[in-house]
Amino acid sequence: MTAQPTAPGDSRTALSGRVGELLFAAAVLSLGVTGFLAGAGIQTPPSASDIGPRAFPYLVSTLLVIVGTALIVQVMRGRTGDAEEGEDIDPTVRTDWAALAKLAGFLILHIFLIEPLGWPVAAAVLFFGVSWALGAASWIRSLVIGVVLALILQVGFAGLLGVSLPAGILEGVPFLNG
Amino acid sequence: MDNFIHLMEGFAVAAQPVYLLYALGGVLIGTAVGVLPGIGPAMTVALLMPITYSLDPTAAIIVFAGIYYGGMYGGSTTSILLNTPGESASIVTALEGNRMAKAGRGAAALATAAIGSFIAGTLATIALTFVAPYVAEFAVQIGPVEYVALMVVAFLTVGALLGASVLRGLASLGIGLFVAVVGVDQLTAQQRYTFGSAFLADGVDVVLVAVGLFAVGEAFYVASRLRHGPVEVIPVTGRWNTWMRREDWSRSWKPWLRGTAIGFPVGTIPAGGADVATFLSYASERKLAKGRRKAQFGKGAIEGVAGPEAANNAAAAGVLVPLLTLGIPTTATAAMMLVAFQRYQIQPGPLLFESESALVWALIASLYVGNLMLLVLNLPLVGIWVKILQIPRPYLYAGILVFAALGAYSVNFTSVDVVLLLLIGVLGFFMRRYGYPIAPLVVGLILGPIFENQLRRSLAISQGDPLALVQSPIAAGIYASLVVIFGLSIWMRRRQRALAATAVAADEREVTA
Repeated sequence: MTAQPTAPGDSRTALSGRVGELLFAAAVLSLGVTGFLAGAGIQTPPSASDIGPRAFPYLVSTLLVIVGTALIVQVMRGRTGDAEEGEDIDPTVRTDWAALAKLAGFLILHIFLIEPLGWPVAAAVLFFGVSWALGAASWIRSLVIGVVLALILQVGFAGLLGVSLPAGILEGVPFLNG
Repeated sequence: MDNFIHLMEGFAVAAQPVYLLYALGGVLIGTAVGVLPGIGPAMTVALLMPITYSLDPTAAIIVFAGIYYGGMYGGSTTSILLNTPGESASIVTALEGNRMAKAGRGAAALATAAIGSFIAGTLATIALTFVAPYVAEFAVQIGPVEYVALMVVAFLTVGALLGASVLRGLASLGIGLFVAVVGVDQLTAQQRYTFGSAFLADGVDVVLVAVGLFAVGEAFYVASRLRHGPVEVIPVTGRWNTWMRREDWSRSWKPWLRGTAIGFPVGTIPAGGADVATFLSYASERKLAKGRRKAQFGKGAIEGVAGPEAANNAAAAGVLVPLLTLGIPTTATAAMMLVAFQRYQIQPGPLLFESESALVWALIASLYVGNLMLLVLNLPLVGIWVKILQIPRPYLYAGILVFAALGAYSVNFTSVDVVLLLLIGVLGFFMRRYGYPIAPLVVGLILGPIFENQLRRSLAISQGDPLALVQSPIAAGIYASLVVIFGLSIWMRRRQRALAATAVAADEREVTA
């Protein structure tokens, strides 16, 4: 978002700032188109006594096509949406794509670590990485909180409630097995 | 009288020490997450669902009810005490409490919000106790055609009316309905939109979508524009039991009652949602105020806190009426409660009061208990809530992501679900960025299969004639009410915009002066 919205529902932004929003509206439209294309492949049993399994998907696809098209027109004419507000959102700063990439990266790392090293290690890495990416004051504290939180969750959910979280390299330690 | 006996039996269940503990846990968690920006009750219920499998249904429902009510109390603490400069006037109602706090009257604002919430919550729960069984009795008699009409109303009000943009709300609803179709058709066992994938044939898990959109999407969005630096909280002074002066009481009690009277009915109709109720209450308090008190509006009028807070809580109870008796959720949190019921093979709807009588009445009784606990706990514990509010944001959002990953992994215990969580989180990020509301997607996803089922039943009965959908007198009446709701909503949106504009103007005068 390069420009500030002026009033709800009536924000005008230069075309360059609208590309992302246009792409999202186009995605809504293409989801509807996909719905029609893929919907043609849904088999309808000849014995079906009602409108069959294809009608409702077509109805939803129609909605998406109409709304997607209308949104593209609206955004092209300069009316963009109001980005969500919140207590922790600073409306004056530019989008921090680097922080976003770090968050997504650590979530992917977490996914790859669950099986080989176990859930507690993967969770501690996720906590440490995300708090570092968001600018935590001290990385040692991030690490300590991450490890403690991961162990508490592992003991609480795997050890006590019996949720099957893999303990990984900590396999065999009392209270940690899911 | 029957219902009274049922209610007493409900109390007998809810008053068992172990269930009291669950209720206490629920309201404490609910208040804590209500206080924290970025986490709402909907997200919390979604996050806790996979990890409360081992609880029995009654315990789980009592915990979720506590979270539901607790979240409302916690939210007001945040809007009163958090000093966030540059917040737009989109939430006019949060303004008065925040202004009072800045003028050193934060303690009174917190007290009138908490006591008002208790009174409104209790009165609205009483109303729920007596109204819901009658609505259920009526609902037993209606057929699929009427259900289709009710769900169309719910879809259109949640999708088109509650957000700032009609088209974006409908797009969000459409995406939710689309995702709901993915998987195997219940009636004919045909695969739909699975693209030959065995993973998609199982359908997309509702909990995964909810956690991805609410938790991961929110964390990503906040990360992209995080307000750095320490969290500034306005200090609260004095002992909590001397917060309300005599004048505060006399200025608060009428707004409390008016807020309740506005909030409950607005919550019960599928056009509900607490936002509408709080706004209506705020507007009427402003209109009714006279002289010096009227001039205080925009600068910290206690009526502007007491009324909307009461309306907010009364609406929360009202939302439970269509949820329990018709199985129709009208807010994101109610939608998550519906999923919680479904997890335990319980389908909210007309038959719920007969088939799961004990559970429903235990739930209603626990609402009374939870409300009382919240009043007793909230004011003395305000110091703790302030501490929670001050948690450094890097740790807060890191913790949210860890819980989200835990919830996603616990759905089926495979890493693939966490990958899907990440993708849904990215969708949630872009939706927030471009102003698409999240609630319609979740409601569409949850109601979609039920809606399709009823629609197909209606059309099977009428042998494919779509006119049958509007020919039933009750259904026609429901569609007519939809027109009225739309008219009212357009009028209200205009009023709201005008009110927001004057509030912003007053704000700017204050800044420049």
